[in-house]
Amino acid sequence: MSDSSANDSRVLRKFLRHKPAVVASVVIAVYGVVAFVLLVVGVITLPDTLKRVGAELQPGLSSERLPEKRLLDCEWLIDRIASLSERRNPEKALAAFSDMGVRRIADVELDELLNRIDLAWESYDELADIEDVTAAAAGTLDDPDVPPPAEVRSMLTELEKRTDALLEPMTKAEKSTRWFELLLGTDRQGRSIFYRAVYSVRVAILIGLVTALLSVTIGTLAGLAAGYFGGWVDNVVTWFYSTFASIPNIVLLILLAFMFDGGHIDGPINKVTGGLLDRLIGGRLDETLIPVYIAFTATFWIGPCRVVRGETMKIKELEYIQAATVMGFGRARILLRHVLPNVTYLMLINFSLLFIGAIKSEVILSFLGLGVKKGPSWGIMISQSKSEVINSFFWQIGTATTFMFFLVLAFNVLSDALQDVLDPKHV
Amino acid sequence: MSTSPATSTAAEVALSVRNLTTSFRTDRGIVTAVEKASFDLHRGEALGLVGESGCGKSVTSKSIMRLLPEHITRYGKDSEVMLGPDNLMGYSGRQMRDIRGNRIAMIFQEPMTALNPVFTVGWQLDEALKYHTKLGRSERKRRVIELLDMVEIPSPEKRYSEFPHQLSGGMRQRVVIAMALACEPEILIADEPTTALDVTIQAQILKLMNDLRERTGTAILLITHDLGVVAQTCDRVVVMYAGQVVEQAPVRELFHNPSHPYTRALLRSIPRSGKKERGKRLATIDGIVPSLTNMPPACRFADRCDCREDRCTAEPPHLVQLNEDRSVRCHFPVHSD
Amino acid sequence: MWSYLIRRLAYNIPVYFSILLLVMLALRVRDPVFGRLGKNATQEDITALRAELGLDRPFVYQYGDQVRQVVTFTFDEKSWDYDGQTVGEVLRRCIGPSLAITIPALILTSLLSISVSLVSAWFRGRTLDKSLVFVSVLGMSISFLVYIIFGQYFGAYRLNEYLGKDLFAIYYEPSASNATLGEFVTQVWPKYYLLPVMISVIVAMGYDTRFYRAVMVEESSRDYITTATAKGASHGKIMFVHMLKNALIPIITRVVITIPFLITGSFLLERYFGIPGMGNQLLMAVESGDFPIVQSFTAVFAAIYILSNLLTDVLYALVDPRVRLS
Ligand SMILES: Nc1ncnc2c1ncn2[C@@H]1O[C@H](COP(=O)(O)OP(=O)(O)OP(=O)(O)O)[C@@H](O)[C@H]1O
Ligand code: SF4
Ligand SMILES: [Mg+2]
Repeated sequence: MSDSSANDSRVLRKFLRHKPAVVASVVIAVYGVVAFVLLVVGVITLPDTLKRVGAELQPGLSSERLPEKRLLDCEWLIDRIASLSERRNPEKALAAFSDMGVRRIADVELDELLNRIDLAWESYDELADIEDVTAAAAGTLDDPDVPPPAEVRSMLTELEKRTDALLEPMTKAEKSTRWFELLLGTDRQGRSIFYRAVYSVRVAILIGLVTALLSVTIGTLAGLAAGYFGGWVDNVVTWFYSTFASIPNIVLLILLAFMFDGGHIDGPINKVTGGLLDRLIGGRLDETLIPVYIAFTATFWIGPCRVVRGETMKIKELEYIQAATVMGFGRARILLRHVLPNVTYLMLINFSLLFIGAIKSEVILSFLGLGVKKGPSWGIMISQSKSEVINSFFWQIGTATTFMFFLVLAFNVLSDALQDVLDPKHV
Repeated sequence: MSTSPATSTAAEVALSVRNLTTSFRTDRGIVTAVEKASFDLHRGEALGLVGESGCGKSVTSKSIMRLLPEHITRYGKDSEVMLGPDNLMGYSGRQMRDIRGNRIAMIFQEPMTALNPVFTVGWQLDEALKYHTKLGRSERKRRVIELLDMVEIPSPEKRYSEFPHQLSGGMRQRVVIAMALACEPEILIADEPTTALDVTIQAQILKLMNDLRERTGTAILLITHDLGVVAQTCDRVVVMYAGQVVEQAPVRELFHNPSHPYTRALLRSIPRSGKKERGKRLATIDGIVPSLTNMPPACRFADRCDCREDRCTAEPPHLVQLNEDRSVRCHFPVHSD
Repeated sequence: MWSYLIRRLAYNIPVYFSILLLVMLALRVRDPVFGRLGKNATQEDITALRAELGLDRPFVYQYGDQVRQVVTFTFDEKSWDYDGQTVGEVLRRCIGPSLAITIPALILTSLLSISVSLVSAWFRGRTLDKSLVFVSVLGMSISFLVYIIFGQYFGAYRLNEYLGKDLFAIYYEPSASNATLGEFVTQVWPKYYLLPVMISVIVAMGYDTRFYRAVMVEESSRDYITTATAKGASHGKIMFVHMLKNALIPIITRVVITIPFLITGSFLLERYFGIPGMGNQLLMAVESGDFPIVQSFTAVFAAIYILSNLLTDVLYALVDPRVRLS
């Protein structure tokens, strides 16, 4: 323990030999970079994740959509534009449509546009006559009146081309943006699943980082103080963690969510502080992640506190610490120079474990409507996909789960490796 | 020194270890802890196995009983552990079980952890009898109490139903010995049976083992750090260094004229002055034991040897028979006469 | 042994009272009456509701009253959501469904994961062991909610479609609450509860198997195992007699550690499948600001948890002679 630098490099070497752990670290770093870019540079912004980018429940990876669905999508678009063009002031209505974000209406005279709409409808009508377009395109429909499958398919393509002509042609940049937007499909409201999932990396890393840091810091400080000073300090800390640990996590989280819900601190406590508390934070927390941070930290600090306290009590009894005490080193100095370095490994392991805890708890809280309130998160995405799954649409749940899976898996592997390397005695 | 008859080559061989090689699969690849160890254990004798910490004594003894964790342990192809006409290396798990605790028994270093904390002393002793004898329940109980009495545990009836944590270290070690002796084994392997105990208890335990050997004719393989104990208890000695047997000799000859430079260094390191120091562990020899992953290619002792010559780092020495009951692994053994 | 248990009791009772204190203080950070009645409430309404619940009394009295309710298990305050029903009545109605999920889930999970971990430890280092460990780490990296969603999709929708009849219900039906005990066991439980229980077991298996395997591996490297092997004990005897009895101590600890996890799980499952248990009820009460229910239910959850801790202490004493005899 005293030759800690030699020890450190040995530990580092052991860690680097652990290949899965190295891969896991790289994975975590990638997520971290994505989160950093999103936070600081802001490639994908909150509005990007909220706007409609196309038809609802579009599957991703440009996988073949059902002909029936393609037909419906065209119908929706033609119908929208047609009805706009029938307004009293069609130019204005059409211009407003373009503001919806995705693509503008083709920049042509109104007559020409109406002409194109007619063409599109014509194409549509032919196909709409067919009872089951999907079956017809696959050639499984037994009806002599229906054109052969190849022709049905080319009719569909033609319809899509004509529909497309209603809109302004896309530039190269627009095309590639579009490709990304539709990469993993769209949700029930036609929002880009890919954008939402990527944006959620930011939320996950923020929640994980903040709560794990806060919990580990608070837990370690409390644990160090309790273990080292003993006496009433120990009693107070033990009392706090026994108490917090005896309320099931979820109940505590719900309780805290109840406290912050609506955001106004108007109970007796507010009177005690002369209304200051409410003026400071009342009503401001709801939109932020702060209630989530507080709720998680309130339950997560117990773990690190408990182990650090135990370890500190053991270290305190070691000879060289005793010697340092006898030699009259200040207590603070002994704590910081001798005890703290010997519990850092516990802090690391706990950090990793709590990061996982935070990401997973976010999903649960968001499902219960108590977690992230603004914008997407993996929890929100998974909760929303509930109704999509019933319709056998798996793109949203699949994407959110996959994004979360690799991050959590990486942290799981990392935690294991850290435990192996730093705390071999651990079960 | 021992009172048993001096060993002769005519003495019946109880256990014969030939070319025992034991390797482990580890994070750093395969490491070989014991290489081509060969020695015989004669009926009724006490054979000492000595060497510095980490030289492979425990691995050797556990290999004999095949007690090492199977999923990481590999034995050499030509390794043989002959018990009578049979090679234990070829035994199935089931055959091995019949041997363990019955024909070969073992005493471990740590009496504090060798007993299962959640079963009573009586239950654990009874277990050995249950596996290897046809005695009924009450007969077994009588026998267990007899055994406890034999290893000089006071009020054995009361101890029968106590748990290990209620016993002192010395008493626990006696229980472990009683357990080993339960089925009157032909061979008793004692891996540092006294290191964890204080000096007076040590002496009592050694005496107990010696008495038993004389009474039952059990052959003992005594593994120890303590050359004093060897001198007191053993008939012959095997010296190990870095996983190899480097010298084998009757105890008196070994002490009077050691052949291998390592043995000499070992003997020199015994503090001779006060008798009080006897129970102490070996004082260290200069230099460090080579690590398993980085063995010198020729003589493994070369780095620390004061008789080293060029040949020592060029070609590995083989175990050479000096006379009928002495052998040594050295290019330049010291000749006494 | 008795003195040990009394010591544990003496430790846990004050802890419980401080939990109660903390919970009650936390619930008063926001004025519960405002929260319930909203901004447009008249002053009279507010005063009346406050008086009804005794919130106008000094805090000490309120605390004392809550302690009385817990100790006598009466919970005689009126719920704000359910007209004319006391919190106690709501509680008694909800306990059954919650236990019908948690208890079977706890038992099944423990039995299954201990068995699997024994298999894993038996084949330690071989392919089977490695794959089990691998699968459980993968399983741990997926959210509980995903298991629930897919569990419902495959276990209820697709299976029912395939079988052509409703084996497992997709969602709870209120009529199921009127079942007699016999009907409950033979019809209601398999239909409405079995699927949630299975989901809960599958989720917990990953965590528990991994933990128990580590325990078994740790135990298998202990000296007393070598002693037993040297005695001639068989592999089976060693695993099921020597190892398992020692492993019971960490196993019991683990079971208690999983209780909060189990409670979380039952909250989610009750919510998702609409089962009228305590978790679902507490969530609804939080949403509608039904203060009496929130306060008392929280107190009950904490009590259940403390009791389970005490139960562990008893079990420890039964299993470990070192605890029993000290
Ligand atoms: N299970 C194992 N896996 C890997 N290496 C092992 C294992 N068991 C023993 N070894 C290695 O084998 C070598 C010999 O160990 P062994 O326990 O036999 O030494 P020893 O001579 O009994 O030492 P001591 O006097 O300290 O008991 C050591 O270097 C040890 O690290
Ligand atoms: S072979 Fe050489 S180096 Fe090795 S022990 Fe003999 S003299 Fe020393
Ligand atoms: Mg040893």
